[in-house]
Parts: sequence; structure tokens; C-alpha cells
Amino acid sequence: MNLVATEAARERAASANKRYLDVAAVTKRFGTATVLQDLNISVARSEFISLLGPSGCGKTTLLRLIAGLMKPDGGRIAINGSDLTQVPAHKRNIGVVFQNYALFPHLTVEQNVAFGLEAQRTPKAEIGARVQNALALVRMQAFAERRISALSGGQQQRVAVARALVVKPSLLLLDEPFSALDRKLRETMQIELRHLLRDLEITSIFVTHDQDEALVMSDRIAVMNEGRIEQLGTPDEVYSAPASLHVLEFVGQSTRIGGTADASALNGTASVETPLGKILAPLHDGSGVSGKVVLGVRPECIALGERPDANFNEISAELTDIVFFGSKTALHFQPPGADDRIQVEVARVPSGIAQGVALKLYWPISETMVYPAP
Amino acid sequence: MIPRLSFALCWVMLSLALLFLFTPIVIVVAVSFTESAVFSFPPQGFSLKWYYSIRNADGLLASAWLSAQVAFISTLISLVLGTLCAIAVVRRMVPGGDVIATFMASPLMIPGLVLGIAFLQAARLVGLNDAYTTLLVAHVVLTMPFIMRTVLASLSMFDFSMVDAARMLGCSYPRALWRVLVPNILPGVMSGALFAFIASFDNYPISIFLVDVHTKTLPIQLLNQLEMSPDPTVAATSALLILATVLALIVCDRLVGLKRMTTI
Repeated sequence: MNLVATEAARERAASANKRYLDVAAVTKRFGTATVLQDLNISVARSEFISLLGPSGCGKTTLLRLIAGLMKPDGGRIAINGSDLTQVPAHKRNIGVVFQNYALFPHLTVEQNVAFGLEAQRTPKAEIGARVQNALALVRMQAFAERRISALSGGQQQRVAVARALVVKPSLLLLDEPFSALDRKLRETMQIELRHLLRDLEITSIFVTHDQDEALVMSDRIAVMNEGRIEQLGTPDEVYSAPASLHVLEFVGQSTRIGGTADASALNGTASVETPLGKILAPLHDGSGVSGKVVLGVRPECIALGERPDANFNEISAELTDIVFFGSKTALHFQPPGADDRIQVEVARVPSGIAQGVALKLYWPISETMVYPAP
Repeated sequence: MIPRLSFALCWVMLSLALLFLFTPIVIVVAVSFTESAVFSFPPQGFSLKWYYSIRNADGLLASAWLSAQVAFISTLISLVLGTLCAIAVVRRMVPGGDVIATFMASPLMIPGLVLGIAFLQAARLVGLNDAYTTLLVAHVVLTMPFIMRTVLASLSMFDFSMVDAARMLGCSYPRALWRVLVPNILPGVMSGALFAFIASFDNYPISIFLVDVHTKTLPIQLLNQLEMSPDPTVAATSALLILATVLALIVCDRLVGLKRMTTI
């Protein structure tokens, strides 16, 4: 995400209602297993937040708790100041787009979209116009009379979005809505949905295990692991300053190098002894690390060649693979004595390099991340 | 060569199967219109007198009415109990659901004679002397497998997140079941009910142990009739039953579509 968009997202989050949706100290247990423990998250009005994490991290459980399809064992959920914890699902006025869309096959497209309005006893005269409006939003007017089984996956998703939005929900929940689409269509739908929701200024929570999806779509991302939120931040923050080793591993590509940190951190810089030599890393929060640590570097930060000055780390490693992606090429290096390979991304492969040669690599010390080893 | 041969074989098999299925029906219907007083084919002349004689034949109408009652009431009871049971099994509301489902469907795998004797002894044991009630209980057991199998099949294909979707759109849980679950499993339930009704209506091996002089179901009465006075009245009765079955199929087709019913 570019800087302007990040700034805009920040402003939006700061202005008006910062705690539109407020999830406070929510706990959920299944039998003896605790899925969520004292979880807190606040979402600002018209913000788009992603819950990102591996399967089983509790993100879907959190979504179902907010929807009211499950009851929490503790804690409180409020929208716009009113407590919803005891309100049943059908009175919460929250829209949900389900993973498999959950469209009603015995009804037409039009009847599917009208379902919520009828359930809420909207006057008949109003229903027709609102259904047409909702279908127009997702460009599906031409399919109003169709059966659901006669639609493609992308069309079904549009109908599911229209059905959720037509009742003017106070909040929209999206449960991995793109997982059933092929890659090309997914990318188109992501952008389209993002624009639609931004135009409607609807507050949305989006569950996904796909980091690319989360980075593309979100104002902020909540990276979840084992029932906790490990980091909540803009896509830029989550990518360039991961709060934990798990976040680093889960979001984006990275190279991890194990080592032992010197106890004496010199003016905010940790010195780490690794099989590749000494590597320096900045310490941001002032807390010193010592003992076993893991260093992380993003592939696009690493360059080929000798370092220009002492503000860079430099290592040398053997080139094992050249992986061509089209717009970029990934070079894989196997450093001596390290298990993890090093990934470097370049736009063009420099002439005169081939597999098997040892090359020097460097990256800025400021782009080196350091975490205590697990 | 091979594809053409298998294609030809396919048609031969189909023709034989159709011949095998339709010949008895055609013969029975033809004989029912005969003028002759004996059960002979080809029929001689044309008359409807055997249809009129159904009314006068001893106990035929009464037994038809009894069979219809038993089939209808037992199917209805199985429908309600079986559907609720199937929901509990599919949603894993009870432990050992699969075992329960298998048990409920097991009467289909036990010979009717065995079931009949078992019901007779069980009824004696608990002092149930009323033939009508005993028949009804036995036929609930008999129809249950048909309902359970079709409803379980429909439910296993039903996506319960649709119920969640209906709830999020403003339907309470019972209303969501009614608006979304019921319309989607109805074809399967209807076909199960139709098969259950037919299975009950033409059951012989179980009923034979449970009937008494005043309470005889149609299949048993028909066989008695055939033994005592083998005239084409039986053929006329059968022809009417065939007509009723065809009408029932047409009605079901109009209501839910035969295609949807048979795919489940």
C-alpha cells in the first residue's frame, strides 16, 4: 500500500468514531479447549479490518461471536455503544458473506436479495426498488430472474454481497469470501469489493488466511495466532515492522537467520553472532535481547555485491536457484552452516551469474529485524 | 466395434427390462375388462362388470380403506419422528448418531417374516390384543427406514450455513429452518414418504401375522379372494391400484418434480 493510502486510512481511523465496534475481553471455550482468551479489538467506523491467521487461530470463531451465531463465555461485544452480547443473531443487523456464499438454491437471485428485507417486514413497495439498487451495486441486474445454480462462482459472490448489503447492516462480516474463486478472478473481485465497501463507507471485518488478500484490501490487519491478536496495524506496519517472529513468518516472504546476541547492545544496536558472521540489527523499543535470537530480512531489501559502507550487513553465500516470476526474479542462496535459504528479489538477473557461484550480499542494518528465538 | 456392441447390448437389456416390468401390468389391466368369469388371457369381450363387483366382493373395500389408513398414519408418524431424528443425527446433537441411524434403517435388511413373528410375539408379551394398533406400530417400524434414508441423504447435502445466513438476515432460528431448510429437503422427504406409503400399503409378510378376521389389509384380502373365488375382480382392483399409483406420481411430479425426487 502506498503512503497516501496509509495516511488516509490512519486519518479515517483517527477521526469520528474510533470504537465503532468494540470487542472487550472476549473468551470462548469449546469443552476444555480455550479458543479465544480475553481478546480485545476495536474497529473504527467505515474501517476495513482483516483478521489474518492460520487455520485454527480463532479468527472464524471471533467472526461468529460478533455475528451472534455463537455465545461468548466471557466478555462484551458492542456496536456504536450499544451492548450486543445478549442480542440474538437475527436482531443484530449484521451482514455476513459466507465462505461458500450460503445462497438459497430454491430461490432466484432477486428472491435471495429480497429475503432479508422480507424477513424484516419491509413494505412491499420498497423491496423491489431496494433489491434493484443492490443488484445494480454489484452489476447483477441482468441476472435477477436466474436460479443460483445457473451462476458462476464470481456471480454468486456478487449476489451474496448484494444480499448482505441490501438490509443496510451496521457491520459487514466476510468469511474468506474469495477462497472458492480462481486467482485471476479473485484479484479482480478483491479490488472491486474494496472500492464498493469504501464508497458505501461500511465497516467491514474480513477473515482470511491469505496474507496477500489482507495486504491488498485492509485499512488495518489483525494478525492472529493461537487465539490472540499478535499485531494490529496498517498493512505497511505489519509488513515492515512485524511485532513477533510469527507475524514475520506469516506475512510476506522473509529470510530467517538464527544466532546468538551479544549481551552488550551498543547504542540501540544488537550484535548477533551467526554462522554467516556478525550481523547487526537495530533495537527499536530499547529492550535489549540476548541469548538465542532469530534475525529476519525481507527479500527486496537484500542487494547483490559488496556493501558500500558500515551501515549495511554483508555476507557471502552460494547461489543455488534462480526462480523466474516474470516481473521479478528470486535468487535463492544457501549460506554455509545455515538451514534456512536466503531469498533475494531482483528485477533483472545481472549478467555473469550462474548457479553454484558464491556471491556477496548486503542489506541495510536498519532493515534487519531481531526476535528472541522460540 | 466394442462400443457399438455394448450400445446394442444396452438397448437389448433395456427392452427386456421394460418387457419384464410392463407385461404383468398390461395383462392385469386387460383381464380386468374381460366378460369371461375366469382369469384368462387374452380377455374376451369388454365389460366393466368386475369393477362393479368390487363393491359387492366380501370385505375388499373395507380392507382397502384399512390399508390406506394404516399406510397414511404410519407414514405420517415416521415422517415427523424420522425427520427430527435425522436432524439430530446429522447435526451431531446425540452421541452415537450413526449407530442410531443404522438401527432405524435396519428393518429394511431383516426378512419381513422374521419381523412379523417378532411383532406378533412382542404384542402378545405386552398384552396388545388390538390388531389395528399392532398393525400401526409395526408399519411405523416398516416405513421408518424409507423416511430415514431419504431425509438423511437430503440433510447431508444441505448446507447448514444457509440457516446461519437466514438468521443473519433477520429470521429467528425456527423461522430460518422453516424458510430455508424445509423447502430444500422437501423433495427428498416427499419421495421418502411416497416410497414409505407404498411399502406399507402393499406389505404382506409382516401384516399376515398381525391381522385378525375383522382387520385385514388389502394385500391379504386380495390373496384370500383369489383363493376363494378366482374371478377378475382381483384384476379390476389391481388395475385401480395401478391407476392410483400413476396419479400419485403425477401429483408428486407437479409438486416437487420427479427428477428432483429420484436424484436423492
